[in-house]
Order: sequence, then structure tokens, then C-alpha cells
Amino acid sequence: MTAAADRLDPGAGRSSDPRRGTFFLLSIPAVVGLALFLILPILFMVALSFRADLNGTLLAPFDPTLKQYDKLFATGSYWNLLGISTLIAFGVATIATLLAYPLAYFLAFRAGTRAGLYLILLLVPFWTSYLLRVMAWKLMLGEAGVINSVLLATGLIQHPLEALLYNRFSVVVTLVYVWIPFAMLPILAAMGRIDTRLHEAAADLYASPWQQLRRITLPLSLPGVIAAFFMVFIPTVGEYVTPLLVGGTGGTMYGNIVQAFFVQAANWPLGAALSVIMLLATLVLVIIGIRIVQPRRLLGQ
Amino acid sequence: MQPRQARSAWRGFVGIVSIAFIAAACGNTGAASPTAGVASEPPSATATPVITDTPPDQVTGSLSVLDWPGYDDPNFWIDFKNTYKNVNVSFEFGSTDAEIYGHMKGGSQADIFHPYTGWLQFYVDEGMAAEIDTSKLKNWDKVPDSFKKIGQINGKQYFVPWDWGFSSILYRTDKIPNVDSWNVLMDPQYRGHLSMWDDGPGAVTVSAYIHGYDETNITADQLAAIKAEWTAQAPLNKTYWSAPADLESLMNSGEVWAGYAWQGSFAVTKGAGTPVAYANPKEGRNSWIGVYGIRKDSPNYDLALKFLDAKLGLLTGQNLVNLYYYGTTNQDVMNGLSDPAQAAAYGGADTQALLKNTFSIDDPTILQHTNFTPNLTADQRDAWTAMWTEVKASQ
Repeated sequence: MTAAADRLDPGAGRSSDPRRGTFFLLSIPAVVGLALFLILPILFMVALSFRADLNGTLLAPFDPTLKQYDKLFATGSYWNLLGISTLIAFGVATIATLLAYPLAYFLAFRAGTRAGLYLILLLVPFWTSYLLRVMAWKLMLGEAGVINSVLLATGLIQHPLEALLYNRFSVVVTLVYVWIPFAMLPILAAMGRIDTRLHEAAADLYASPWQQLRRITLPLSLPGVIAAFFMVFIPTVGEYVTPLLVGGTGGTMYGNIVQAFFVQAANWPLGAALSVIMLLATLVLVIIGIRIVQPRRLLGQ
Repeated sequence: MQPRQARSAWRGFVGIVSIAFIAAACGNTGAASPTAGVASEPPSATATPVITDTPPDQVTGSLSVLDWPGYDDPNFWIDFKNTYKNVNVSFEFGSTDAEIYGHMKGGSQADIFHPYTGWLQFYVDEGMAAEIDTSKLKNWDKVPDSFKKIGQINGKQYFVPWDWGFSSILYRTDKIPNVDSWNVLMDPQYRGHLSMWDDGPGAVTVSAYIHGYDETNITADQLAAIKAEWTAQAPLNKTYWSAPADLESLMNSGEVWAGYAWQGSFAVTKGAGTPVAYANPKEGRNSWIGVYGIRKDSPNYDLALKFLDAKLGLLTGQNLVNLYYYGTTNQDVMNGLSDPAQAAAYGGADTQALLKNTFSIDDPTILQHTNFTPNLTADQRDAWTAMWTEVKASQ
């Protein structure tokens, strides 16, 4: 792609490009915003994790100590929970991506002129409050909820199912539900870039729709699928609101522990140390994931 | 900022005028409160101050209050609102004691904050609370001595106690016939039908009551035993609750049969028609008291004092009892619950009876077998909350 751009504009990207100055100026607000509201707070949090306690004012100088990390490494249950949260995030990302794929396929290739309308219909529920959507699942899964009421009324069960809510299952179900439209968008974007003449050519060569899917659509949409997967995986590792509302005692995730130390325990340094560990763990997993998947190879570069 | 002398003169004027007005207001409601030694004319409906100065409804200024969600309801500071109509009161919120402590630590500019017993020591030790000048509180004599003591740290009055209540077991009488011990929370036969409050120090106190530990001196071995106990208890819960409404809806629907609860939940579920009872465990109920403090170096100290004084007012106290089913430290309000002539102020005779039941007012021995929450040290706070977090992480 850069080769093609070169032919159109030989000066693009070179240090002599007179537009570089403009690009630089245009990017300053975003860079400043990111630095102030993303980089600086993360650095502050990392600094906070080396603090022994909260005595003194928040910005006062202090003697750095590894006390919080010692405490972390001494407590096995936090690492266990990090592992469980990562597995839950992996599961949610996989299921959400798998369920989002047919949706994206339908919108890209089968919806025709109505695609925009269907897209809006799919996205409208997600303009409501996140909390409302999670609470709606409480109504669905509860002992007196919709699912139990229907099953009881039809006589399929005699007693309400108690295992639907307040455990890991309800956390996974709710998270998948919340993430499907978000997972769908990158896949849709990738599918939109596929040239439909490839499908026509394949049909001319007697390929069945299933073969077209397997050999054309799937490989070409794979970068979108990967993007969707990571887009769901990374935030879900640190998720805490959904487990708080529908997780009960068994569905706790790592984010709940971080929140507990900040909000219930007023122990910000320990909470900061936990957050740093989660940040590093997620970074490592993403790097490993990208190495395995090698998107550059998929993009044909 | 006015120069020092002008400020003390100003304080003097406003102090005397406000005392005169509050004395007049108290005289109107018929409450038996003596005018606090100010030589003005006897209170009457059209009392005018002897010293001409800014009347309360012309006092301007602003106050910022750090409070729990829901307490910004004007009903809970109605006496101040009615007297100081032109003072602008704004609210910041924290929904746990730790959050409020975090706000104050983080440099909140709120003039007034609302912690609860257990969390008071740190504010004084870390220099965040100003001493309360109780001579300026007109309603101070309505507060019983035992409550006044709760607000004293290191021998000085740093906090004004305002709301109080019990913690005990709330249980459905149709599912569990009788609960007489905190141990019911650990009972495996009620698996999936219990609900504990999501709070580390709360869990430690329950264990201390059950096993007879000294709450002020929990050893490391005892803490380890407590942690094991609650780790085993965790699967028995339907879920933990962090806001009373969570517990109340679970109780009403019958999913939870017994739970750690504040007495407000008892009144709400009983009022909803659910067959519930509020236990009197043999180890004793727990009682907590909410207090208001003034931030050290707040520029609105005097106005804040007036706010706190108005908080102890009659209407405010009645609203607290009627709307939240919490006790108030204004003894006139609590005594009014036993006075049939005042039934109208409490929503009628039936509600008055329900409230009396909630506060165990008819039981003269209730205070003897109630355990009051002692103040935590910073180490205890850190150790107990870390213990609870580990319990949650081990599931």
C-alpha cells in the first residue's frame, strides 16, 4: 500500500514532506490529551504502588518501598483470581466473537439496502445505560425472573433454578451480551473491505457458499476477528461492575479486588500495586497473542 | 478575607442573632428547651433580635457537605433550609466509609463530612477534623451523654452524633422459625439463602461476637481463624449486599431467608408485608452511630456549626425517623415515638408502633446487651479489609 501511495505522491512520509509540520500540529491536542489523562495517571498509579501507606497528603514525597508487592506475592488467592479472570475474559471474547461473526456476515453480504437500518436496530439497545442492561439480566436470570417463570409455567421444572444467577455463569452470559455489538463492528469493517467480485469469481468456478466462506470470507475477515477478540479481551480482564451486580460470591473477578482496596479499604497503594500487575499481565498476554496470530502476515505485508 | 478583629465581631453578631432566632423557633414548636442564657425577650412568633444584625434568612454563603447518597434530600436538613434560606448547600458523595475517608484524604474541600463509628480515629489523628465548639450548638442539650461521648476523640469533642441504628439478623419467620444467635449466618442448612454485608470490619465484629473475641484486640491467630470461617461461609450466601435495597428486594422475593441487616431494612420489609423479624441474638446486637465533622481549616466553620446545630433540630430528626427508619440523637424525637399524642408526626399510630418495635424502645434493657462499634486503628482497618478481600478472592 505504501508503494502505491509513493507513486501518487513521491514526497509522502519523507522528512522533506512539507505536510509533516501540519500533521505534527494537528496531532498535538490528541497527544497532550493522552499524555495528561492517560499516561500521567498511569505513572501516578505506578508511583502510588511503591508507597507504604496513605499517611500524609496524596502528592507528598515518600520513601519508595516494595511492601505492597511483597504482600501481593505472599497472597496466593490474588494470583489465582487473576488467572480465573483471564480465563473468563478469554471465554467471553471467544464466545462474543463467534456470535458476532454471523451477525456481521449477514449485515455485510445479505442485508443489502437495509443494512443501515439493521445496524441501527442492533445498536439502539446499547445507547441505554450499561447498568440498566446488566440489571435486566438480573430480571431474566433471577429465581422469580423471566426464564424461571416461563419454565415453571410450562411445567418443565418444579422448583426455580437457583444456579442461573449470582455465579460465574451469569457473569459470562451478561458480559457476552454486552460485548456482541462491539465485537461485531471490527468484523463488519473487515468484511466491508472484501471485494464481492471474489465471491462471484468463486461461484463461477463452482465453489459452494460454504467453500466461499471458508476460503475467501474467513481469511480476509480474520484481521477484523482478531481485532474484535482483543477489543473484548483486554477490558474484560479488569471488569468489576458486572461481577459486582450479578456475580454473587462465586463470580468475583480481579477488578473487584482492585475496587475493594480503593473503595472499601482505603488502601490505595495496594490497589495500585494490583492494578500495575494486571496491566503488565494483560500487556504480556496481548504481546504473546499478537506473536501467535501475526496480523502482518494476514494483511499480506 | 476580613481582618481578624472584624471576623470575631462578625462571629459574635451572627452567633447571638442565630441563637436568638433558634431560641424563638424552639419556643414556637413547644419543645421544652431553655433559651440558652441570651438576654433577649421571651420567644414568640414574631421575636425580633435585640441586637440588629443580619437575620438568618439574609445570611449568604455556601457550604459543601460530603455525605452518603440520599442525604442530600432537603428533608434531612430541613431545619437549616427553613432558617437559612439564602445559604447555598452543595453535596459531594461517598457510598462507603472508606470512600469518604479517601475523599477527605485526597484533598476534598467539603466543609462537613459524615463518617460512622469505627472510622473516626483517623480523621483526628491525621488532622482532618476541627474541634466542635459545642457552646454554639443550641440543640446540644437534647443529645444524651452516651451519644456525646461517641463524638469525643482523645478527650475533645470532634464530632456531632446524628443518626444511629442497630445491626442484627433480619430473617423471614416463615422460613426460619427463630434466630437467636449470629451463628445462623454460618449455618450450612441455609445454603444459598443467606446474605452477609460486604464489609471486612463488619465480618470481624460478627465473628468476635460469636466466639467472644475482644474486638479492640484481635490477634493474628484470631484473624486467621476469622478468615477461614468466612471463606467457608462465602458459598452459603445468595450474594453479599452492599446497599440495603439489595437485601430488602432479596428478602421480599424470598430468595434470602436470613441476612446481616440494619434496622431500616426491618422496617422496609415489614412495611412491604413480608413476614420478617429482627433478631435479638444472645451475643447482643451491634449498634453504630453516624456523626458529622467539620473539616479542619474550613473557611466556613461558623456556618458549618449552624448547619450541624440545625441537623439536630426536631423536624430533621423526625424526617430521619420517618423516611429512613434510622434513630436520631435528638432525644425529643425518640421520646415522641412513645407519645400517642404525637402519632401524627410519625405517620399514624400503626407506623409509630412499627418504629417503636424497630428501635426496641419498649425494651429497657436493650442498651445493656448491645455492642457498640469501637473505633478502628489504621492497622486494624488495613488488616481487616485485606482479610475480607482475600476471602472474596478465594472463591
